[in-house]
Amino acid sequence: MITDFGRVLIFLIVGVVFVAGGLIVAWLLRPNRPYPSKLATYECGEVPVGDTRVRFNVRFYVVALIFLIFDVEVVFLFPWAVVYKNLGWFAFIEMLVFLGMLAVGYAYVWRKGDLDWDKPAPKVPRYEKGIGVQETRMTEEEIAV
Amino acid sequence: MGSLGSFWNEFSAWLPHVQLAHFLIVSAILFALGIYAIATRRNAIMVLMGVELVLNAANINFIAFSRYSTDMNFDGQVAAIFVIILAAAEAAIGLAIVLNIYHRFQTVNVDEVSSLKE
Amino acid sequence: MSDHLLNDLSLFAPETAITLTLVAAILADLIFRRTPLVVAALVLAGFVVTGLLLLGQTGVNASIFTGMIAVDSFAVFFKTIVVLAGILVVVFSMESGELNSPGRKLGEYYALLCAAALGMMLMAGASNLLMMYIAIELSSLSSYLLSGYTREAPDSSEASLKYLIYGAVSSGLMLYGISLMYGLSGSLDLRAINRALPQVLSGGGAASFTLLIAGVLALAGFGYKISAVPFHFWTPDVYEGAPITITAFLSVASKAGGFAMMIRFFKVTFIDAGAVALPAGTWATLQGFHWVDLVAILAVLSMTIGNLVAVWQNNLKRLLAYSSIAHAGYMLTGVVVLSNQGLAAIMVYFGVYLFMNLGAFYCVMLIADKTGSEDIDEYKGIGGRSPFLAVALAVFLVSLTGLPPTAGFIGKLYLFAALINSGWTWLAIVAALNSVIALYYYVRVFRNMFLRTEEPSSPGITLSWLQNAALVVLLVPTLLLGLYFTPLVQLAQASVRLFGTP
Repeated sequence: MITDFGRVLIFLIVGVVFVAGGLIVAWLLRPNRPYPSKLATYECGEVPVGDTRVRFNVRFYVVALIFLIFDVEVVFLFPWAVVYKNLGWFAFIEMLVFLGMLAVGYAYVWRKGDLDWDKPAPKVPRYEKGIGVQETRMTEEEIAV
Repeated sequence: MGSLGSFWNEFSAWLPHVQLAHFLIVSAILFALGIYAIATRRNAIMVLMGVELVLNAANINFIAFSRYSTDMNFDGQVAAIFVIILAAAEAAIGLAIVLNIYHRFQTVNVDEVSSLKE
Repeated sequence: MSDHLLNDLSLFAPETAITLTLVAAILADLIFRRTPLVVAALVLAGFVVTGLLLLGQTGVNASIFTGMIAVDSFAVFFKTIVVLAGILVVVFSMESGELNSPGRKLGEYYALLCAAALGMMLMAGASNLLMMYIAIELSSLSSYLLSGYTREAPDSSEASLKYLIYGAVSSGLMLYGISLMYGLSGSLDLRAINRALPQVLSGGGAASFTLLIAGVLALAGFGYKISAVPFHFWTPDVYEGAPITITAFLSVASKAGGFAMMIRFFKVTFIDAGAVALPAGTWATLQGFHWVDLVAILAVLSMTIGNLVAVWQNNLKRLLAYSSIAHAGYMLTGVVVLSNQGLAAIMVYFGVYLFMNLGAFYCVMLIADKTGSEDIDEYKGIGGRSPFLAVALAVFLVSLTGLPPTAGFIGKLYLFAALINSGWTWLAIVAALNSVIALYYYVRVFRNMFLRTEEPSSPGITLSWLQNAALVVLLVPTLLLGLYFTPLVQLAQASVRLFGTP
């Protein structure tokens, strides 16, 4: 008899064998001719730029948050869809109300300009020859905008 | 030693058959880890992550109790869906507030953000 | 089934009205960008309509949406408190110097105020643990943002962070408690839990110990909402840092929602329905779960610590924060007596507290708008310069202390009478001693306002007609309810009588 954890163990073993087996077979079969661009990190076909640990623009975060909220709210659609046939018109109207409120929120975000990317351009550090280095740093207030 | 051995025998006989208690133990461990993070971390984001652990511990409880109920009780599963959504909303608002704090104080350390007098 | 739902929806009309106001406020903010007064007027109208719909619900006793929400006079009373506080706070906000600084968009502010009020109204009616949690989160999430609304001010940002951290932790603890309670009883509905509990408790020590843990964890959530002592740490910082209109709203409405929910939770879940031979209007708790002692300890701690720490405060806003912790303690004593008289006393107290506490915060706001400070030392000579404002503040503070002939006296009188009637004499004595401490720190404010004069005397504070009217609206009930309190008391007693019966 296989216990509950026995099944989990079998699942784990199959998973490990599947991945490791694939790698090993590929390693045995493939020709080995490395050159620099092959060894470089894959970055969607572009030539990789800069360090991995760069700071992302804070606007990514705003968009990500908005996405998170709308994405998670959609969870309510699944149970609704399952029982929709039994509930009929009432459930339909109820879901329309719910989606309508989400739409109001979306309209608000859109109109307030939180989805626009072309907001005031941040000042970049500027170097001028001869006078010495003049650096205009972004103040925290400007980043916040 | 004998008692430890018999405990081990009982334990190894009990462990493989997954029941309600297994889920409750996982959830209790998760809850304890969450509380530990809340109590020891001073970084506001870490504290919020601790809260997420506590919420998910409660979610495991809800779903386990619902699954092992005798009368096909779905209240717990419904509760879990709502908790997931509220946790997302709380995380979004929490991160927005923490970001604002970073702009004002240049730190997200809960102890250092104290301009209001004790 | 459809008729049933339509009937439920008609009983849900006040909440629907406030939700529509919320949506309308968001849309109005998008359309009338430059004139926040349009949004304010819209929200004010929405609150008034909600209040009128609530008045239409007097005497209703129903349970709607398959037991999720109870619509009874008890809930309607607390919802009315929330809506009245909402109306007054919108009026405060319209001419608040702190909020109406140039460049600030107030549309969001009013929309969030509606969301917070909706959450608090749902808290007052929730009769299902999940519904309670959702209501708490709705009101808390809106309150976090509101308390940080003047976000360029470091104080306000800090207030919202502290509110968020404490709120998130305590609601997380509460949720874990709820999940344990669901496991023990197999239901989230308060009545069903009550029916299941005797069997659970007869099961032995482990079950009743788990129930105790679940109860304590749930108490963390309630205690945080009403700012009772072990869960009060956020209160002084949030009350001091938040915009003062929001402080006023939280101190009354949030507390009202929290108390209504907590009372419903304990009253419905943990009473012994089978207990016999009790005097009319009292009830017994289930054997094996001593939550009454727990609440009594919280009450004593809240009163004493709130009042003692308040003595050392120099910022009047912060002082009022500690005083509101102490008031939570007074009101908690009404819960422990386990009788309709105690509940009615809490409701009378809330009816009075609404006016006196909002009034005190309003005076602080008016003075801070002109002098830019909430420091008690800055109040020197205000009595000579702006007599009306100073006398109004004095009346509100006397009422908060609980001295006759103000309304605060009536609130305390009913609480103490309920305590003594049910044999909690020592608790009544502790509460009375605490009122004496409260008198001590309020006297400092009186002395500064009326007996000290400021050396370089500054001009008096002139108020607009709206601000004068708002002050009068707050002042009249604070004095009148101290002399003619029968209607409020009768309303409270009538509301309590039906409470807890299906």
